[in-house]
Amino acid sequence: MLDLFPSREAGRFGRRLKRARGAKIPVSVLTGFLGAGKTTLLRRFLAKPEGEGTAVVINEFGSVGIDDALMRASSDDVTLLGNGCLCCNTRSDLQNALRNLVAERAQGRLPQFRRIVIETSGLADPGPILQTFATDRALGSEFHVEVVLAVVDAVGGLDTLAWSAEARKQVILADRLVVTKSDLAEPQAVEQLARRLRALNPRAAVHSAVDGDLDPRFMLESDAPPGAAARTGFVAEAEHSDGILSFVLTEDAPLPWDAFARAMETLIALRGGDLLRVKGLLNVAGCRGPVVVHAVQHLAHPPVELAAWPDRNRTSRLVFITRGITERHVRDLFASVRALTGGSAVTQSS
Amino acid sequence: MKAGRKKVAKKAARTKKPAKAPAPKRRAAAKAAGKRAPVQSPLGNGGPITWNFKLIAHHLLDGFGGMGEGMSIQIAPDGRRILWLAHESAPKNFTAVDVSDPRKPKVVVQTDLPQAHMRSNSLETCGNIMAVAYQTQKKGLTPAGMELFDISVPEKPRSISFFDCAGATSRGVHQLWFCDGEYVHCASGAPDFTPTHPNDDQFYRCIDVRNPSKPVEIGRWWMPGTRQGDNVRPPPRHPLDKGHRAHNTNVYPQRGDRCYLAYIDGGMFILDISDKANPKRISQWTNSPPYTGFTHTVVPLFDRGLMLVTDESTENNAKDWPKLIWVLDAREESNLVPIATCPLPDHKAFAAKGRFGAHNIHENVPLPTAWQSDQIVLGTFFNGGLRAYDISNPYQPQQVGVFVPPAPPMAPTGTIQLNDVFVDEREIVYTVDRHVGGLYILEMDF
Repeated sequence: MLDLFPSREAGRFGRRLKRARGAKIPVSVLTGFLGAGKTTLLRRFLAKPEGEGTAVVINEFGSVGIDDALMRASSDDVTLLGNGCLCCNTRSDLQNALRNLVAERAQGRLPQFRRIVIETSGLADPGPILQTFATDRALGSEFHVEVVLAVVDAVGGLDTLAWSAEARKQVILADRLVVTKSDLAEPQAVEQLARRLRALNPRAAVHSAVDGDLDPRFMLESDAPPGAAARTGFVAEAEHSDGILSFVLTEDAPLPWDAFARAMETLIALRGGDLLRVKGLLNVAGCRGPVVVHAVQHLAHPPVELAAWPDRNRTSRLVFITRGITERHVRDLFASVRALTGGSAVTQSS
Repeated sequence: MKAGRKKVAKKAARTKKPAKAPAPKRRAAAKAAGKRAPVQSPLGNGGPITWNFKLIAHHLLDGFGGMGEGMSIQIAPDGRRILWLAHESAPKNFTAVDVSDPRKPKVVVQTDLPQAHMRSNSLETCGNIMAVAYQTQKKGLTPAGMELFDISVPEKPRSISFFDCAGATSRGVHQLWFCDGEYVHCASGAPDFTPTHPNDDQFYRCIDVRNPSKPVEIGRWWMPGTRQGDNVRPPPRHPLDKGHRAHNTNVYPQRGDRCYLAYIDGGMFILDISDKANPKRISQWTNSPPYTGFTHTVVPLFDRGLMLVTDESTENNAKDWPKLIWVLDAREESNLVPIATCPLPDHKAFAAKGRFGAHNIHENVPLPTAWQSDQIVLGTFFNGGLRAYDISNPYQPQQVGVFVPPAPPMAPTGTIQLNDVFVDEREIVYTVDRHVGGLYILEMDF
């Protein structure tokens, strides 16, 4: 389109956005093992002013996730809640449920919800949900996954993480972790759980919630709100079970986009299925703002240039969560592409 | 002409309440609501909604919140940022609001019109000079024309001159464009212009204001057939018959030899004004029929070879639906091709009260105090509120933001009627209600 109707205002990737989601509907994915306290957390959130206008999609077979007391009217599929919210209890197809929400809102049959919270099944691996937004073009153009939040309970969480691969995956893929029931557990056990969570996901901010009481911004915004526990910082490679690895590559110099894109294309072509999640904020040569990239397995979201950097740090940062692909593999691939194209590529580890 | 000038100048500079045409309902509304009215949460289509905008301030303008389509920002000599607003109807002429801190807008002056049978409706500032349009309700009334003010001291606007356009067949000036400090381009009647149809009274006039104390008309153009004596037949009437007459008269420095002229029921024209004394038609585009006329604004997006053309909804209860923002491929100015419209929600949800449909858009006014964008279109749609569209793909404009405030207290139509929008270079959005709601200040969040 820029060829036909060029614009000096637009960047290489189109209109520069004020935030990664642009104007799309923000989606928070709330995950956590059975009994971890997801529903309590959600109920408390919906009761707060910040929860106003939330559409809740319960992606759980046969569950009743929201207390009846919150409901004020109902139809077959969608239940209207207090506080301008609505609840869709989907038993099969998440894609259809999300499409219907948007279509019915446009037709005036549903309230003008502002965001969606998807409460996943306790047994669910959140990977396929993230992939749904990457693979479904219609959903991808309407929705933006803002936050993946995993809930772990302080009483039984450690045991669950020991025996359940799904629970570990929930923690590993999350942007934020919430520890519940810490008032019911021994301080030692809480500390032990915190250590385990840091080992599984050193990038995620961790917050504790007693009786579901959590800063509502923790559920919504992509940047950690003030007062929330600080991120523990990037580490070169986190140790996971199940062959899952996570690491961060950084680069101080601006990246030539073509070299980066070719390296990513090669990686996706060779091992796309093992790229569980790739997220990054890149300093691309010739771009004014940072470029947000995001890939899930074989699919990469279209890159988005933001209007401005969030702070003075201009370092490119690329987080990988992989199955069996090591940091060294990726670093060598990027270095090779750099050498072959004569450009730079993300090569340093932090 | 002399008498008119003195009268307007003297009265307009006053800041006290008017002797005529008081508006008790509006005062009561302001009193009842206080200075700020809350914006409620989304309740459904047709109801209040704030999506990807942040409301940062609302000002009822001291009970006179019925605003027209003149919005312009001046950086005053003392550094304050002053938003000048034209009122939609009497008794007020214009209001200046200090928006240096957009979260705390302050009215610095509010002036009265000399007559209840007139309206200012449109204004522009350039440096410390402001041009204000005056249109009378009926032909033959006075004062009708355009007044220039020295606004060096915003609290005390001082009249410099009055350009008289009154006449037996004229209502004066409805809209004006003044960005270069040299020429006012306006939609106006004139005493020597007798239209073939009474509704076709206003046409394009170019006024030289290089000597602001002595404005002089240097050129004019009208749609052929609309003036008695033309050698072509008058244009056929549209069902709503709002007149084949000029509305917005935009001229930009990127193409200083062009006027982008909206002509209500005549569609739109591109004029060659390289010789301002003899404007020439280059091209015309109209959507009516089958649509119902009232082309309002033409905004060229020069880098992109695109053009935005807006309709104005003028009928209550969406009777003239659809009124739209049109995107035209203007790479060849002599052959304009419509390629898209900015999508609106189903009109049925908005048909109960007031007007619904397009009106003003942010026009990329070529001044340092105006935001410039060829990617985002912001428009006001009366009870459809303020809407922002991403036109990065001009074939598929996408709505990216909506602001529909609740009906202001004592709103005569029982609903919001957002009338005009302006965005400053800080990307602060100002939008006004047509009847009572005053000024809403927002941030874009998309």
